Amino acid sequence: MSAGATPPSALPVEDVAVALGGPPRDDARLARKERLRVLLHSKSFIAGAIIVGFWIVCAIFGRSLVLQDPFASNPIDSLQAPSADNWFGTDRLGRDVFSRVIVGSRDILVIAFSATVLGTVLGTALGLVTGYFRGFVDDALSRIIEAILALPVVLVAIMALVALGPSNVTIIIVVGLVFAPIIARTVRAAVLSERELEYVSAARLRNERTPYILFAEILPNVMGPVIVEFTVRLGYAVFIVATLSFLGVGVQPPSPDWGLQVFEHYGLISGGYWWPVLFPAAAIASLVIGVNLIADGLTQAFER
Amino acid sequence: MAKFIAKRVALGLITLFLLSVLVFFMANVLPGNVGRRVLGPFASPQAVAALNHQLGTDQPLVTQYVDQMKGYLKGDMGTTVATRQPVSDVLWPALWRSAKLAILAFIIVVPLSILGGVYAALHEGSLRDRVITVGGLSAAAVPDFVWAVVLLIVFSLGLGLLPSTAAFPDGSGVLTQVKYLLLPAFCLVFVLFGYIARMARAGTIESLDADYTRTAVIKGLPQRAVLRRHVLRNSLLPTIAVIATQVGYLMGGLVVIELIFNYQGIGQMIFRAATQKDFPSLEAAVLVVGVVFLVSTLIADILYSVLNPRVRLGGAES
Amino acid sequence: MSQRETTRRVDAIRAGSSELENHLIDEYDAGHISRRDFVRRGTVIGMSVPIIGFLASACGTGKKTSTGGASTGTAVQAGGKEVQVRPGGTLKLGMSPGPTTEIDPIKVADEGGLGVMSQSGEFLSWSDNKLQLQPRLAESWKPNADGSVWTFKIRQGVKFHDGTTMTANDVASSMNALSDPKNGSNALSTFAGVLSKDSAKAVDDSTVTFELDGPNGNFPYLVSSDNYNALIVPASFSGKWEKTFPGTGPWKMERYTPNSGISYVKNADYWDKSRVPKLDRQEVKFYPKEQAQILAMQSGEVDVLVHFSPTGGRALLNDPNITVIELRSSVHREVHMRNDKAPFNDKRVRQAMALAVDRKALVNGLFGGKADIGNDSPFAPVFPTTDKSVPQREQDLAKAKALMQEAGVNGASVELNTWDGFELSDLAQLLQTYGQKIGLRLTPNVTDAGTYYGDAVFGKSPWLDSTMGITDYGHRGVPNLFLTAQLTSKGVWNAAHFRNPTYDGLVKEYVQALDIGAQRAAAKKIQVLLLDETPNIYPYFYFFLTSTKKNVGNVEVSAMGHYDITKAGFTTGS
Repeated sequence: MSAGATPPSALPVEDVAVALGGPPRDDARLARKERLRVLLHSKSFIAGAIIVGFWIVCAIFGRSLVLQDPFASNPIDSLQAPSADNWFGTDRLGRDVFSRVIVGSRDILVIAFSATVLGTVLGTALGLVTGYFRGFVDDALSRIIEAILALPVVLVAIMALVALGPSNVTIIIVVGLVFAPIIARTVRAAVLSERELEYVSAARLRNERTPYILFAEILPNVMGPVIVEFTVRLGYAVFIVATLSFLGVGVQPPSPDWGLQVFEHYGLISGGYWWPVLFPAAAIASLVIGVNLIADGLTQAFER
Repeated sequence: MAKFIAKRVALGLITLFLLSVLVFFMANVLPGNVGRRVLGPFASPQAVAALNHQLGTDQPLVTQYVDQMKGYLKGDMGTTVATRQPVSDVLWPALWRSAKLAILAFIIVVPLSILGGVYAALHEGSLRDRVITVGGLSAAAVPDFVWAVVLLIVFSLGLGLLPSTAAFPDGSGVLTQVKYLLLPAFCLVFVLFGYIARMARAGTIESLDADYTRTAVIKGLPQRAVLRRHVLRNSLLPTIAVIATQVGYLMGGLVVIELIFNYQGIGQMIFRAATQKDFPSLEAAVLVVGVVFLVSTLIADILYSVLNPRVRLGGAES
Repeated sequence: MSQRETTRRVDAIRAGSSELENHLIDEYDAGHISRRDFVRRGTVIGMSVPIIGFLASACGTGKKTSTGGASTGTAVQAGGKEVQVRPGGTLKLGMSPGPTTEIDPIKVADEGGLGVMSQSGEFLSWSDNKLQLQPRLAESWKPNADGSVWTFKIRQGVKFHDGTTMTANDVASSMNALSDPKNGSNALSTFAGVLSKDSAKAVDDSTVTFELDGPNGNFPYLVSSDNYNALIVPASFSGKWEKTFPGTGPWKMERYTPNSGISYVKNADYWDKSRVPKLDRQEVKFYPKEQAQILAMQSGEVDVLVHFSPTGGRALLNDPNITVIELRSSVHREVHMRNDKAPFNDKRVRQAMALAVDRKALVNGLFGGKADIGNDSPFAPVFPTTDKSVPQREQDLAKAKALMQEAGVNGASVELNTWDGFELSDLAQLLQTYGQKIGLRLTPNVTDAGTYYGDAVFGKSPWLDSTMGITDYGHRGVPNLFLTAQLTSKGVWNAAHFRNPTYDGLVKEYVQALDIGAQRAAAKKIQVLLLDETPNIYPYFYFFLTSTKKNVGNVEVSAMGHYDITKAGFTTGS
């Protein structure tokens, strides 16, 4: 699991998508109920939901949850070890690490979530079109998608962020655009088998307009893989945003972003100041694990 | 078979062309004054103007692109903007260094994770299975820069066993190089283990359930023999695919690890080139990373089709 | 030597000395300047070292000077004592980030470049860490009466590494290459208004004269190692300098790999036998990220770090296995406030902002004490001309709030621009907190260096155009460049857009003053004026830090980033 070139889960998810083929429409509601039941009985989904839910609460209510101002610096109190006053100690500017970790969940969640939504929307549209039309459009787009996928996501993001200058909006757009072809590939695979099914040809015979067939007929039936892919991507997005911040081209100071906190302090660990690195790093790991647990639960639910 | 390979290569070439166009235009939209960026804020305007002129960025983009591709075909990759040396003098050693790190990481992680995956599959659902899968997942969820820092603290600063950088001295022997590369390689092991093990586990479970395995067991073949003959071979398939896709990450995606360990690999080269707006280096290096990825997926596809003839019938596209 | 004999000799020296020199002797004799300042100044205007030494003890016996020795010194730690080292061995050094561009003496503008360049190359004189000039390729130098023409005697019998002999011709051509606008040299800003094209002339094999655009009492600094582009290269040389590193220095380049490292072997034929390296070789490794070089030092991969920052290298400061060499320097951060834009067009708001800053906390918290407190002018405590009687500005929130109220500014929002290097973004965040305390909402906008500096000209640079920003300045041996470029009406780096005719006049007075008394008098007026006007905040001047392993001795560095390890080596018994 890394900010790597290719989604490690590309293969299984694709397989799942192809195998699924989508349940018949009449049974859709029943299937949904069944999935929900499976989800609620999935330990990994519950555990993941609790972790992610916790960070979402922190992201929304962060400032009112903490007693100290996460931005208030006081150089005299810099690098104090964890204590009753500062549970996670203070950072090199004397800011409270605990409140920074809590409040720091906002940027990474907002950016990762927005980027994944953007990537999923674009990718799904792209996948629907390429999978449905096949032929030239499909070939051309597939080649371009393949060209983009030949480069590690981090590299593309670095180039774009250096060119455009780092800002949260830029990160969202860049990560979203890089994700789009990856998601498109999964969706396309699902659509390929879907378009051969009866309900699609029936719609075509009814002379439905193509956009209607794509978005009202096929889309609901490929939502399974889309949702699974969305969660998997979300995990990556968290990872990539943290990595970009660590490289200094992502979220910029004074944000209490976790990746940024690790970046700003890792040179100090060798001097014995481990707390400003350990806590934000653990936060990143917990969020990635949480999202992955949810993805696991969803995959199980949709596999049934 | 030959036709299949020919088709894959042809498609690969088209992708490569698109990639080169993409990279060229991406590198050339980097705004700003290149000379100023290279020489710094306190350099005299004359020096900046001289460098900008030397770089000749006044040509139309298409001409620049064509000239550059011609150069590439002749093996001329241009000159780096900052240090004014041939790009190829920087690029090939950097690529080779990244390859060394990737090879070492693979040598450690591939046997380890395949064994782990098969072991977990044989004990599916047990505690041992959970430890391997959940442990692998958790290890991979920790960002690579965190692993790097932790390993540095423990093995380099704490125990003093290994060097804190991966930049081995020029002309050092294989063993010395391995010693320097061990820490970053282990970061990669943590990142990759869970993932490859999961693939191997899934593959093994699938082939354990498969008809031919059941038949073999019914025929009375000992479990060990069944494992060797059928299960292991089939679980290798997805694993190979996974490894091939990770080559792209290892050869270029390791920006963070290479930076922390001060290793002059291709990832660091690209990061430096991007921040310095050194677009001749940037274009060449990114293109090479793309080529490496395309070639490795091509090899994986061919291997896959050799090992599993069903793929050829289904077409190579998706 | 009897008192009478001493007086007779002093008189003889004075009779043979220039007006400039006599002026300096008068000042010292009258007690206006300290012995240390006298020696330093003496070396600059080209008095010979034995004569300076003699005069230093013979004269100046009168009143004690107001400036104590310790406060003007640069070496904070007693690193001056030479220790016994065993000959031979290879010293491993770390440098971050190392040279970032092609190494060409005419164009080099970065610390890494000058560091590696000046191992094999040499200057007319070496500006040591006490800001004294030690003769190197020049044996001596003398000004004419008003300091507008300087004559340098060039050392004879010195050979370049390729075996050719260095002559006055090489010196003149090296200097003329720098002053010729066509070459786009990096020294053009230093030479502007001082030395024009082709004004260095080789009179004979051993004499070079410089005809300046006007009188300049500090000229020898401008062609010393302080101006790192003023490296002497063979007149006949063409091509890439970095291929061979041609020079006369004590180290010969062995192998250079850009972005990776460089190694040198000792030059056994070096002209100054007392400075032939004791070590056999030196290997320098480059670290693009400072964290990596700190770790390399702690894990023992390198023996020396030429330069590390107090913020990044905090882990080294209390490591028992490492010796830290500290040099006071004029490295600083200039926090500019646009004097022509709201809210800073009101002097009271600028003063309030400056009063809100807790400098002691910054120095102790951010730098672990390894910095001097700034007093809102470029006159760093390290400069001998700085008048330390000017009262230090301290944090005073009550006064700051009162000033804000008087000015009627409340809740103003200002973007605070800077880039993502050194401790700049830390300072931005700290200033944000300080601003908050007096009702100024500062929003840090941290970009990369290229974006912040832009084209480095007015109208096309956030650095020079923004309402507020933080800019990093490296060390200079004299404050002249800071005073003119940062603050005069026509200053090319005047980000504050400060326009003050009185100030411009004072700077002119300061630059043209030939003796230290007059310079210090002008300095005081400038300091007082800037403290009142507060166009910029200068919160601190931080130390230049070098680290060595405990078993390494005699490493000498300058705050510019030069290092001299000719006497260095591993101590005996290790």
